[in-house]
Amino acid sequence: MEKSSDTLLYSRIKEKDKDALECLYDRYEKILFSFLYKMTQDRDLAEEALQEVFIKIWRGIGEYDDSKGKFTSWLFRMAQNSAIDLIRKRKVTVPIDEVAEMPSKDSSVEKTAEWQDEKEQIQAAVSQLSTEQQEMIQLFYFKGHTHEKIAEICGLPLGTVKSRIRLALSKLKKSLHGMQERGAIDE
Amino acid sequence: MNNEHCDLLIDYLNGTLSDEETRQFEEHLKTCDECREIADATGQLPYLSEPAVPPAGMKSRILSNVFAEDVATDSSSTSSASSAAAGATAGSKASSSSHAESESSDRKPRDEVEEEKVMQMTQPIRKRVWWTPAIAAVLLVSLLGNAYAFMQLQQEQADPAPAPTQPETAFQSIDLQPSEGFDGDATAAVIEEQDGALNLVVTAEQLAVLEGEQVYQVWLIKGDTPIPAGAFTTNADGEGATYFNIDNNTEEWDTIAITLEPQPGNELPQGEIVLSAGL
Repeated sequence: MEKSSDTLLYSRIKEKDKDALECLYDRYEKILFSFLYKMTQDRDLAEEALQEVFIKIWRGIGEYDDSKGKFTSWLFRMAQNSAIDLIRKRKVTVPIDEVAEMPSKDSSVEKTAEWQDEKEQIQAAVSQLSTEQQEMIQLFYFKGHTHEKIAEICGLPLGTVKSRIRLALSKLKKSLHGMQERGAIDE
Repeated sequence: MNNEHCDLLIDYLNGTLSDEETRQFEEHLKTCDECREIADATGQLPYLSEPAVPPAGMKSRILSNVFAEDVATDSSSTSSASSAAAGATAGSKASSSSHAESESSDRKPRDEVEEEKVMQMTQPIRKRVWWTPAIAAVLLVSLLGNAYAFMQLQQEQADPAPAPTQPETAFQSIDLQPSEGFDGDATAAVIEEQDGALNLVVTAEQLAVLEGEQVYQVWLIKGDTPIPAGAFTTNADGEGATYFNIDNNTEEWDTIAITLEPQPGNELPQGEIVLSAGL
């Protein structure tokens, strides 16, 4: 249901419906800002990246359709790209010792139920990865480093870095699928 | 599954492909379940983020900048953006256009798109800047004053409890410091009534006289979030005062500020900070 209403909103946005854009903004402001803040570690940059995302959506740049996968994946990828642009542009460096820290399970901050559900699922999937694979995802996804940079940080050959990231993501995907299928059977 | 396109998945996710390569890869995604599913799986990673509280006024800033495009389509009036800021953005815009804009080329000439972007992107930065640095500067200035106020407060707390016949007790009083370029004096006090209700009383003098609809607005600020806490206008001598019920909530605030607002009733500050103090 979430999915269909997102795509419905998106189609209204394409017709320049301001209310629809505001609705989409309200729906994803918190997760997008939190994600962008996690990436940039800078509130101003996070806001700038978020604005860029909504400007692109409003102008219909990088249009979404089903062939690009889930709407949220597309939305988050746009956000991630905006943050990467800003990070690389301004050469924001995020301390490397934070790298291996995947967020802990207990957070006292209140979250929406949906966020919590998604988080539990992805956390469980991530926990099935090796420490090294988790680190790859941190460096690659959240820190927005290029492979070259990751190779440098980890002291690994470029080819090895690429194949390890791919392996980590592939395993993540399988774990998530496994959980979703089990979830479907449970219901 | 493993063709040469699949090898580009990581580059695609990492934003290192050119526009053309991105477009080609998105074509590939349509036919390759494996790559699409991996891309989707990464789309769940943001949920690992710890919740962060968005800055005050972010929504209105972003939406007004997004919608500003409609008004500004025919805009040669973009000169309002400072040329320095525009230059800075223009200098780095090439890299920002690397990914998701890949499909823009068939919608608008690139130059036009980017020209608008220069204008859009300069706006929020300018708007945002006044708030944080101003508070930071003012906080620094007011630290000394606070230390004094704090010591006074400590003394007051050390004193025996006020006689019960006393109807109201001012138990925290603080002087606000003027921002650079502004004159004025103000004192804020929290007053506890007999029934336990807390009121914030602000008195000010020597303020610049207001024009038109302008008001002086008091804000209580926690982190980046300001809450309106009473507004006042001044008499001919530049004096004014306000009385505001703060619902027993005194612990959380870190700053009190008075801004000069263009009109009453703003939920978020638009004007500049005239006076402020850390709490």
